[in-house]
Amino acid sequence: MNISCDRVRDLASGFVLGALDPAEMDAVREHMTSCAQPHPELREMGGVVSYLGGSLDPVEPRTNLRAAVMAAIQADLRSRSPERVAAVAEPVAVAEPQAPLVLTVLKPAHAAGVISLARVRGLRTRRAAVWITRAAAAFAIVSLVGYAVAVQSDLNRAHESQDHANTVYSYLQLPGARWAALTPQGGNKGVGDAVLLPSGHVAVWLHALQPTKGDEVYMVWLSSDSGPITKAGWFTVDDRGEGFLTMVNVSPSDSLWLMVCREPNSTVEKPTGPAIVTGTVWLYSVPEATPTR
Amino acid sequence: MRDLEVVPLPMVMSQAPSEDHSEAELMRQVAAGEIGGLETLYDRYHAIAYALALRITTETGLAEDVVQDSFLGLWRNAGRYAEDKGSVKGWLLAIVRHRAIDSMRRRRNGVTIGDETEEPLPAALTLPDIWPEVAGRLDAQMIRIALAKLPDAQRDAIELAYFDGLTQREIATRTGAPLGTVKSRMRLGLVSLRRDLVSIADGRDGASSLSLNGAKGER
Repeated sequence: MNISCDRVRDLASGFVLGALDPAEMDAVREHMTSCAQPHPELREMGGVVSYLGGSLDPVEPRTNLRAAVMAAIQADLRSRSPERVAAVAEPVAVAEPQAPLVLTVLKPAHAAGVISLARVRGLRTRRAAVWITRAAAAFAIVSLVGYAVAVQSDLNRAHESQDHANTVYSYLQLPGARWAALTPQGGNKGVGDAVLLPSGHVAVWLHALQPTKGDEVYMVWLSSDSGPITKAGWFTVDDRGEGFLTMVNVSPSDSLWLMVCREPNSTVEKPTGPAIVTGTVWLYSVPEATPTR
Repeated sequence: MRDLEVVPLPMVMSQAPSEDHSEAELMRQVAAGEIGGLETLYDRYHAIAYALALRITTETGLAEDVVQDSFLGLWRNAGRYAEDKGSVKGWLLAIVRHRAIDSMRRRRNGVTIGDETEEPLPAALTLPDIWPEVAGRLDAQMIRIALAKLPDAQRDAIELAYFDGLTQREIATRTGAPLGTVKSRMRLGLVSLRRDLVSIADGRDGASSLSLNGAKGER
């Protein structure tokens, strides 16, 4: 829709306030891309509009909003190219002073195993899946053996832990399984594994966690690609320090970032506690793989 | 309708505040993927961003979602920031306002904020700010004083559009005023507001650097 300069001047106040109908907004934009005449009224009134929000007194949000914002930024950063990730200093403190939350970005050596998403899709071959499964299975076996030695004084507990290990191990055997190491953050203890299946099943297995007290839980937060952080599930931990959780219907994606936080209760909708462990499930390339295109 | 004639404002400071330069540097850091720059911007502007989001959404949870989403938008689009197009604060508040209004509309339509796709900001919200020198000396109280000086009808028209996201037609329906009257109230209100803000920031009382010649409507 072509409109005249006079019409633009008539619509200017509504335009700068975003208060025109969509067709009128588009018409003004279209006019401004081609009109050689100056339209100072748009600049003048637009400058005023940009400061209307400044009429409000600042309001402090809940203190954990900063941690949530920075966690979202970290998740977005992790979803970017490895070159971009490697360029960022580490670790990066992102939390309130009272509750330090330190998320460590991917190490360059780790990021070097990640390639561009388009290339990753081309390299997603059966051979890659086998390689990933074998490597991850070997890691799981080593972890399992070490853990079994540590808990053999209590067979009943060991059986339960064995079930968890078997679940993780069985996941790793399935085609297309992707694995991530969950590493401790901010001086916290805790380490573990996460496995994502193409079916959307996810298993998270953690050790060396501090026991939960009262209503406390360990909450698992997920972020697929650059999407928002979502609440995935929670578990409690006794004096064994072990946590286990399986999830379903997690959308397969190019990257899945996991963060486990210690939360005051299971009803929180945003990360509030310190991050205990984090990890990212990536697609990995293998040197001998051949692009399929 | 006669044209609205706008006379350029005189420079009230010889140079922009140094904070503008540091903001530009912070935005360059953010565009380069340095989280420290964003942390500084968050610490500087989170409270006013949250105040605006809360004013529009009236819900703390939704306002927090909007603020989080807005800083994520700032992070992702920092490379688009142009120093000569206005302050970072103004740009951030434009993002917050856009997303807050959008989230309210989505909520009315049964869609959560998490389903939102990345959309470019409307051009109307990214127009150059031509008077950062003035705005840099304005605080919330000064802006409220200038708003309070407007006739109620003009202030209501501006606030219904800015804070409630209503279009001129919707404002006309809500207030019962003809559409042309709503347009005039908005235009005169913005022009008067700018004039008064400049006067307040410049320590003048009633002085105006803005000509209202040709502006029609009520006052």
